[in-house]
Amino acid sequence: AMAPGKKITARIKRTLPVKGPQAPTLSELMRWYCLNTNTHGCRRIVVSRGRLRRFIWILLTLSAVGLILWQCAELLLNYYSASVSVTVQFQKLPFPAVTICNINPYKYSSMKDYLSELDKETKKALETFYGFSEGKSKVRRSVNEWNSTGNDFFKQIPLLKFEDFSKTATDLHSGQKRKIEGSVFHKDSSIVNSGDSNDIGFQLCDANNSSDCALYTFSSGVNAIQEWYKLHYMNIMAQIPLETKEKLSYSADDLLLTCFFDGLSCDKRHFTRFHHPLHGNCYTFNSGENGTILSTSTGGSEYGLQVVLYIDEADYNPFLVTSTGAKIIVHDQNEYPFIEDIGTEIETAVATSIGMHFTRSRKLSKPYSDCTETGADIPVENLYNKSYSLQICLHSCFQKAMVDSCGCAQYAQPLPAGAEYCNYKKNPNWMYCYYRLHEKFVKEQLGCQQICKDACSFKEWALTTSIAQWPSTASEDWMLRVLSWDKGQKINKKLNKTDLANLMVFYKDLNERFISENPANTLVILLSNFGGQLGLWMSCSVVCVIEIVEVFFIDSLSIVMRRQWQKAKKWWNDRKRDRSGKGPQAGDPERQGHDNPVCIDEDLPTFNTALRLPLPQDNPLPRTPPPNYSTLRLETAFTEQLPDTLEVGQH
Amino acid sequence: QGGSVKTGKMPEGEKMRQCKQEEQQQQKEEEREGLIEFYGSYQELFQFFCSNTTIHGAIRLVCSKKNKMKTAFWSVLFFLTFGLMYWQFGILYREYFSYPVNLNLNLNSDRLTFPAVTLCTLNPYRYSAIRKKLDELDQITHQTLLDLYDYNMSLARSDWASLSARKRSSRSLLHHVQRHPLRRQKRDNFVNLPENSPSVDKNDWKIGFVLCSENNKHCFHQAYSSGVDAVREWYSFHYINILAQVPDAKALDESDFENFIYSCRFNEATCDKANYTHFHHPLYGNCYTFNDNSSSLWTSSLPGINNGLSLVVRTEQNDFIPLLSTVTGARVMVHDQNEPAFMDDGGFNVRPGIETSISMRKEMTVRLGGSYSDCTEDGSDVPVQNLYSSRYTEQVCIRSCFQLNMVERCGCAYYFYPLPAGAEYCDYTKHIAWGYCYYKLLAEFKADVLGCFHKCRKPCKMTEYQLSAGYSRWPSAVSEDWVFYILSQQNKYNITSKRNGVAKVNIFFEEWNYKTNGESPAFTVVTLLSQLGNQWSLWFGSSVLSVMELAELILDFIAITFILAFRWFRSRQQLPPPGPPPNSHANTAFQDEAPSLGTPHRFTVEAVVTTLPSYNSLEPRGQSRDGEVGHE
Repeated sequence: AMAPGKKITARIKRTLPVKGPQAPTLSELMRWYCLNTNTHGCRRIVVSRGRLRRFIWILLTLSAVGLILWQCAELLLNYYSASVSVTVQFQKLPFPAVTICNINPYKYSSMKDYLSELDKETKKALETFYGFSEGKSKVRRSVNEWNSTGNDFFKQIPLLKFEDFSKTATDLHSGQKRKIEGSVFHKDSSIVNSGDSNDIGFQLCDANNSSDCALYTFSSGVNAIQEWYKLHYMNIMAQIPLETKEKLSYSADDLLLTCFFDGLSCDKRHFTRFHHPLHGNCYTFNSGENGTILSTSTGGSEYGLQVVLYIDEADYNPFLVTSTGAKIIVHDQNEYPFIEDIGTEIETAVATSIGMHFTRSRKLSKPYSDCTETGADIPVENLYNKSYSLQICLHSCFQKAMVDSCGCAQYAQPLPAGAEYCNYKKNPNWMYCYYRLHEKFVKEQLGCQQICKDACSFKEWALTTSIAQWPSTASEDWMLRVLSWDKGQKINKKLNKTDLANLMVFYKDLNERFISENPANTLVILLSNFGGQLGLWMSCSVVCVIEIVEVFFIDSLSIVMRRQWQKAKKWWNDRKRDRSGKGPQAGDPERQGHDNPVCIDEDLPTFNTALRLPLPQDNPLPRTPPPNYSTLRLETAFTEQLPDTLEVGQH
Repeated sequence: QGGSVKTGKMPEGEKMRQCKQEEQQQQKEEEREGLIEFYGSYQELFQFFCSNTTIHGAIRLVCSKKNKMKTAFWSVLFFLTFGLMYWQFGILYREYFSYPVNLNLNLNSDRLTFPAVTLCTLNPYRYSAIRKKLDELDQITHQTLLDLYDYNMSLARSDWASLSARKRSSRSLLHHVQRHPLRRQKRDNFVNLPENSPSVDKNDWKIGFVLCSENNKHCFHQAYSSGVDAVREWYSFHYINILAQVPDAKALDESDFENFIYSCRFNEATCDKANYTHFHHPLYGNCYTFNDNSSSLWTSSLPGINNGLSLVVRTEQNDFIPLLSTVTGARVMVHDQNEPAFMDDGGFNVRPGIETSISMRKEMTVRLGGSYSDCTEDGSDVPVQNLYSSRYTEQVCIRSCFQLNMVERCGCAYYFYPLPAGAEYCDYTKHIAWGYCYYKLLAEFKADVLGCFHKCRKPCKMTEYQLSAGYSRWPSAVSEDWVFYILSQQNKYNITSKRNGVAKVNIFFEEWNYKTNGESPAFTVVTLLSQLGNQWSLWFGSSVLSVMELAELILDFIAITFILAFRWFRSRQQLPPPGPPPNSHANTAFQDEAPSLGTPHRFTVEAVVTTLPSYNSLEPRGQSRDGEVGHE
C-alpha cells in the first residue's frame, strides 16, 4: 500500500525537481532579477555607473511603482460609477390606471345613524366655544345602544379651550375649568394668535397612567374641530365591517355620469372598485384587473379619458371635509394609489384637463446604488397587494410597529394578518399610543426610514393641469337637463352645475422618456486601463507582475527561510556537540563568527564563492588564466565549501 | 558525517579572514565608484545604451548598423509606428480637452428640507392709506379715461372737492404727468415718432405714451395694442415716481399678518411667528416668507398633503388700488432659502374660494464647474456686483446688472430693484427724462446689448421645484356656515363676500425622494494616462522610464562632448609635453575612471571579486596600472 504513493512522489521529484531560487542571497537575487526582468528601470539600477546615477534610477523606478499603484487605486475606486442614458421613444403607450375618488368618503345621509352622536357633540362644541348654532337643527335623536356607549368616549377625550397659556382649560361638557398637566405637543411659545390665548385642542392621556398626557392645541378653531372630529370618526369607522362601508359609500353609478375613452364610450364596467379607508369607494379606470391594459393610439385630449363626475355636494359631511370636489391619481396598474397623500384635486363646475408626460427610470442596483429591484430583500412585509415602493414599505413598517406596540392596526392602512383595527371600545389606549408612535416615526426613531430602500425602477407621469369654466353659460341649460335625464330615476331633482366636475386625462405626446443608468466601466475597460498604467510607467505586464511575485515573495522568502533553517540546524548541532563534551576550542571561533555581523550575513560564503567560480572564465579579458592562480586561491574556497553543501544535502 | 563536520569547521579562522577581506574589497569598490561617472567616448556610450536600453524599435534602428537593409526597414517601421502613435495621441488629447461629462441620476431619499414659501397679498398698500398720495394721479387718470374711452370711473368722491383745491397748490405732479400724456393715435400718425414696441395689432388705433429725452429732442412712443395694458403701464410708471418721492414708503405698509393669514399649519403643527419673515414688494404688496430663517428649518417627514404647509388666507379686495391691482387672490412662490422671491418669475396665483393644493417635486442639478461647463460656484467670479443680500442666482445677477446699468446711464436707480450704494431712486421731479432713458435701456437689455445675459452665468448648483396644482372648492356648501363663523370669531373677519374672501393653500411634497442630476467627468487624467500608456505600449513597448533612459543618454552625450572638448582644449594648451597618456591626472572626474576605460563590461558581477592583484600582475600592460593603484 505504501509503495505506489512513494513511487508517485519519487516520480514527481524526478520529473518536477524543485530547485531553490536563482541566487543564494537576497542581494544576489535582486541583482539577478534586475538584469533579467522585462520591467524597465530595474536594469538601470544595476547597470548604471556612479552612485548619484544609481540613486536617481532607484528614485525613478520607485516613483513609477508608486504612480502605478496610485493610478490603479484611482481606477478601482471609480469602477462602480454609472452613466445615464436618456432615450426618447415614440410608441403606442399603455394608458395608466386612473383612480378617482370623491373627496367626501361616505354619503352623509346614510352615515347619520353612526355619526349622529358625534355630530351632536361637535355642534355642542361649536356652540359653547364660538356661539355658533345652526338655525335648522336637524340632528335626529335616534340614540341606539351603539351610540350610548360611544358617548363615554367623547367625554373621555373632549375638546378643550385653553386659557392662561395652556395652564387651565375649559371642558366642553362640564364647563368646568381644570388644570392641565402633561407635555404639550405642537405648541410653541408664541403661536400665530397668541394674543387671544384661547386655543382649542384636546388632550390624550395614557389610560394606565393618567398623569402622562399629550396636549394638542390648534391656533385655528377650524383645524381643531376637524382634527378632533377625525379622531372620533376613525374610531367609529373602525367598528363598521368593510361590506357595510362599501355600501355606505358611493357606487360607480353615483359617481360617474359619462365616460369616454379614446373616442369611444365607456361605462362603469371599465372601472374597478377600490375601497380606501379614508376616501371611501374609489374607482380605478384601466386597473388591468381583467388582464387587458388599454392604450392610446394618439396623444391629445380627444383620445384620453373623459369623465363627468357627479359630486353630490349636499350630501357631504360638514365636519370631516371642508372642500368640494374629487381626487384623482394617475398611477401604474401595479402601484398602490396613495390618494390621501398625492392625489390631485378636481374642482366642481370646472373642466379640468390633465396632460400627462410619461417617464420611465431605471437605476442600477447593488454595487452602484442602494436600491431594491423587487423589495424581497427588505425585512418588512408588504401589507399592500401591490408591487414594492418606498411609500408602501414605510407605511407597512409603521403599521407593523403599531400592531406590535399598541396591539391594534391603524385605520388608514391595510390590516396585517391576525390584527384588527383600533377602536376605543377594545383598545382604549390606542390613540395615545398612536400619537406617541407617530412622533417617533417622524423623528426617525422607529428605524423604518433606515430599513426601507428606494425601488430601482419606477414610472412617473408628470401632470400638467389646466382648468376652464364648465359648462359654459350658453350650454349650461341643455347640458344639465340632458345629464339629469341620464341620471334618470336615481335622483329626481335637476342637477346643479356645482355638483358636476368634468375631467380629461390624456397623453400630451406619445413620447416615452426612458432614463436608464448604465455602468460607466466594464471589466474590459478596467483591465485595459490597468494595462495602460502598467505599460506607461514601467512597461510592465501581467507576466512581469507574476515575475515580481515570484522573485520578491516566493524566492526571497525561501532564501530567508533557508537561512533561518540552517542557523537553527547549526545551533542544534552545536548544542549537541556541547552536550557530548567537545573541546572548547571548537566553540571559540564560532562565537567569534556570531559576533561579526558581516559574516552572519555571509552565512554561506561557500555557496557564494561557488557561484562566482565559473564567472571569471566568462571574463573576456583573461586570455590565459594562470593555473596556479586558481588553484591557489579558489581551490581552498571550494574545498571549504563542499562539506557544507554536503551537509545540507544529507539532511 | 563527523569527518565532514570536522572539515567544515576546521578552516573557520581562514573563512573569517576571507570574509573580512571581501568586506574590505567591497568597501574599496564603493569608494572607487565615484558620485558621477562618465563614459570615455561616444562609442562606449552608445554601446552601453544599445546593450541596456528598453526601447524596442530604437535598438534595432540604432544598434544594428551593420545591415543597411535592416536599418532601412527598421527606420521605416519606426517612423510608421511613431506616426500612428502620435495620431492616436492626438485623438486622445482632443477627446480629453473636449471635457466630456457623464450624466448621473441620483435619487436621494433623505429628509426633505421644506423650501421657503412666499405668499403675497397682491395689493401693495391699502388704498385708504395711500389715497392721499395717489389722489392727484387718480384724478388725472380719471380725466384721461373719460377723454379717451368716455368712461366715467367711479372713484370715491369723498374728498373730491378738497382735491381740486390742492391740485392748484401743487402743480408739480400734473406738470410731470402731462409731460408723459397717454395718447391715442392713428397708426399713420406715428411716422414722425419711432416706435419702441413692435406692432402687434391689426387695429388702426394704438394707445401709448410719449417719452422724451431731457431736451425734448428725441422722443418715442411707448405704444400698446390694448388700452388696458397701456393704462396700467402708464399708471404704474407714475405710481413708481410717486412712491420714489415718498421718503418713508416703508411706513405706509403695516404688516398685519393676522389679517392676511388666518390659519397656518405645517406637518400637523401650528406655525410659529418665528417661522416667517416679512418684506414689502411695491407691486405684490405685503409678502410673508415662511421657513426662511436658516436656524430652524422645517423638514417634511413624509410626502403628502398632511405633512406639508397648509394656509388659510384672506383674499378680500375691498381695499385694493383699483388701477394697479387687477388680479384677486394671493400669490405663492416656492423657492430655496436664501434666495430672493422674484414673484413675477416663479409665482403661482391662488384663487379665492378655492383650495389650491400645490404638489412639489424637488430636483437638483449639479454641474461640474471649471472647464467642464460655463457655470459659477458662488458668483464671485461674475463681473457683476450682487445688489441683493442673498446668495448668487442667475436672476439676482441679471437684475443687479440691469440696475447698475441704469444707475450708470440714467443716473438713478429703478424703484423695483435694490439701491446700489450712493444712488437714489428715479423720480421725474429730479430726473426729468428717466422714463425715456429707462425704456430705451430696457429695449437694449432685452436685446442683450448690455450683455447682462452674457455676463451672468448659471450657478453650478441649482434647486428647482416643479409645481403642479389641484383645485377644489373650499369651503363646501355644507360646511361653510361653521367655517366662516369660526373664522369671523377668531380673526375678527367680517364676512362680506363670503367665499371670495378666503382661499386655502396647501403646499406639500409629492414624493419622498428627490432627483439629483449630476455630472461627473467622463475622461479623467487617470483614464487619459491609461489610454496613452496603452497606445505607447502597443506601438513602442516602452515606458516613461525608457524616456528617462533617452534623457539620460542625451545628457550623457552633452556631458561627454563637453569633457572631450575640454580635454582637447587642454591638450592643445599643454602641447609641449606630448605624453601618450596626457590626461587623467588633472581631471578629477576622470582620475578614478581612466584606468578601466578600456573595459566596457567592468560593471558585471565578477568585477567585485576578480580584480585581484595577483591576477592583474599577469596582464601584459599591467605595469602602468599597478603604478596607478599604488598611487592611490
